[in-house]
Amino acid sequence: MLTLTSPVEIWAHRWPAGRKLALLALATTGLFLLSSPLLLCLAFLATLGLILTGGAAFLETSLRLLRPLWPFLLIVALWHLWTGDLAGGTVVMLRMVTAVALANFVTMTTRLSDMILVFQWLARPLQVFGLSSRRLALAFALVIRFIPVMLDRVGKISESWRARSPGNARWRVLVPATLAALDDADRVAEALRARGGAD
Amino acid sequence: MTRTETGVFLDAVSLSLGGRKILDRISLHLTERRIGILGRNGSGKTSLLRLIAGLVAPETGTVRIDGIDPFADRKAMLSALGILFQNPDHQILFPTVEEELAFGLIQQGQSPAQALETALTALRKDGRAHWAKAPVTTLSQGQRHYLCLLAVLLMEPRTVLLDEPLAGLDLPTQARLARRFAGLSQRVVTITHDPASLAGADRVLWLEAGQIVADGPAATVIPAFTAEMDRIGERDADADLAG
Amino acid sequence: MERNLTHIALFAALIAVLGLVPQISLASGVPITAQSLGIMLCGTVLGARRGALAVLLFLALVAAGLPLLSGGRGGLGVFAGPSVGYLIGFPVAAFVIGWLMERTTLPVGTAATAASVIGGIGVLYVFGISGLAVMLDKTVTEAAYLGMAYLPGDILKAVLAGLVTQSLARMRPASLLSRG
Repeated sequence: MLTLTSPVEIWAHRWPAGRKLALLALATTGLFLLSSPLLLCLAFLATLGLILTGGAAFLETSLRLLRPLWPFLLIVALWHLWTGDLAGGTVVMLRMVTAVALANFVTMTTRLSDMILVFQWLARPLQVFGLSSRRLALAFALVIRFIPVMLDRVGKISESWRARSPGNARWRVLVPATLAALDDADRVAEALRARGGAD
Repeated sequence: MTRTETGVFLDAVSLSLGGRKILDRISLHLTERRIGILGRNGSGKTSLLRLIAGLVAPETGTVRIDGIDPFADRKAMLSALGILFQNPDHQILFPTVEEELAFGLIQQGQSPAQALETALTALRKDGRAHWAKAPVTTLSQGQRHYLCLLAVLLMEPRTVLLDEPLAGLDLPTQARLARRFAGLSQRVVTITHDPASLAGADRVLWLEAGQIVADGPAATVIPAFTAEMDRIGERDADADLAG
Repeated sequence: MERNLTHIALFAALIAVLGLVPQISLASGVPITAQSLGIMLCGTVLGARRGALAVLLFLALVAAGLPLLSGGRGGLGVFAGPSVGYLIGFPVAAFVIGWLMERTTLPVGTAATAASVIGGIGVLYVFGISGLAVMLDKTVTEAAYLGMAYLPGDILKAVLAGLVTQSLARMRPASLLSRG
């Protein structure tokens, strides 16, 4: 399955995922405590420098991941131009871009499996509620396994709709797709049981 | 009553689904090496498979596999019986080949590292070491069947249960899988509607409307079954709704 | 036990698939992202606890680095962005929808639509708009104007969630675990 981990290996790939996440949490908290445009500008430049250590291709991917922020940046920019509070607007925009870019940096330099291991470790306190890390690992694996299976299924449902109707299936794939998910859940539960269950 | 004998043992087993009787007081004791259970769609053969596999509990009666209650004692069942489901996409639980193979072994008590090693060794032995990290979605249908079989065999069950094992596969794949099944050292119970896949079975049971109507060597049961299926097919009467 | 786990996992996958499928558009040809519809269905079909867990599992995989949010977004960045309130609101919405489904005696379709409006719009918007206000440093009222842009689409999705749930109840009554 396609992940957001960058195929361009940089130094940060070799850092432990837990350390990166802890630092990210600290840095993000810091960003939200800062309100000086100058300091935020420095934080932004530092983040940019961090990304640049990965090279041009790495930078390009980072910028592409920031693209969904454009509408928000535009709205904030227009808003603050209109109210005349330019310093306030700069703070919001710098903070937003820096926080998201930094978080993306961690995602891009951490393998999915390592990140899942950290989540399992973080979820250990939940064991008292019956959520064992084994069961959590199994749940993660099942979702990753079944996304392509269900995507394929939805494609087939749309095709069989088109085969017998002039238009596209549109939202009508939802009922058979949901039914298929329910059926799959029952069958997979059996397959799981056949090999020793979830406990 | 505790049964300690080996094999698949059912005593007066009944099962209903949604108020409809699916299996009606079935008793049997299977000890042969190659066993076939033959039946039409709706004959109750899938329910029988689920009972033998311990996926459902019988309403009345007793099921024992090598003396083990398959529904209650899941841990002991793992080394007693393995199932190959008809659709590999319902059986494969993990995104990569090695995880899929290691899972059953971990369930049996091996450490994850040890299980992974066992899985890799098995792949290497079959000349498929390069499969280990492959996403299961990249495998062909036949390769997925093979993966499911290998995952079951790694757990070294004493009996292997096959559910329509050759349905929907192309001929070369059928031939390859059939050869593998024939070579298994385990007891094999095949559940199917297709008499052709039971040639060479030591014992064949014919299931009809939740009851066993014939039980004997392949040479006598299969021709009788085929003749009856031909007769029903001639009648062209498939408009009746069940229940 | 296994069924609980597989239902949660398969519905987490369903949310992802509904966000990835491009061709779900309404009769008018207006494309809608079916992802929040998936959140609603988790509540109406699975019920409060399982529905919320399915959504949490989905979000965990997004955070772990899978681009499963509609538009191919994912990773930790989306949790640092202005839409984070909606993401936090997703599992709460599924829980509230499921909770309402488990308690109401209304007919299934009506119940599912009403629950989806209350949970999938009412509750979700409280979280989403608060998130916008914090992240964009605006008042809640100002952020609400921005959030309302999604309202027509979300009302449609709530109606669709009701229709889908009703069809499921008719085709397979036992499938609605929320009404178990």
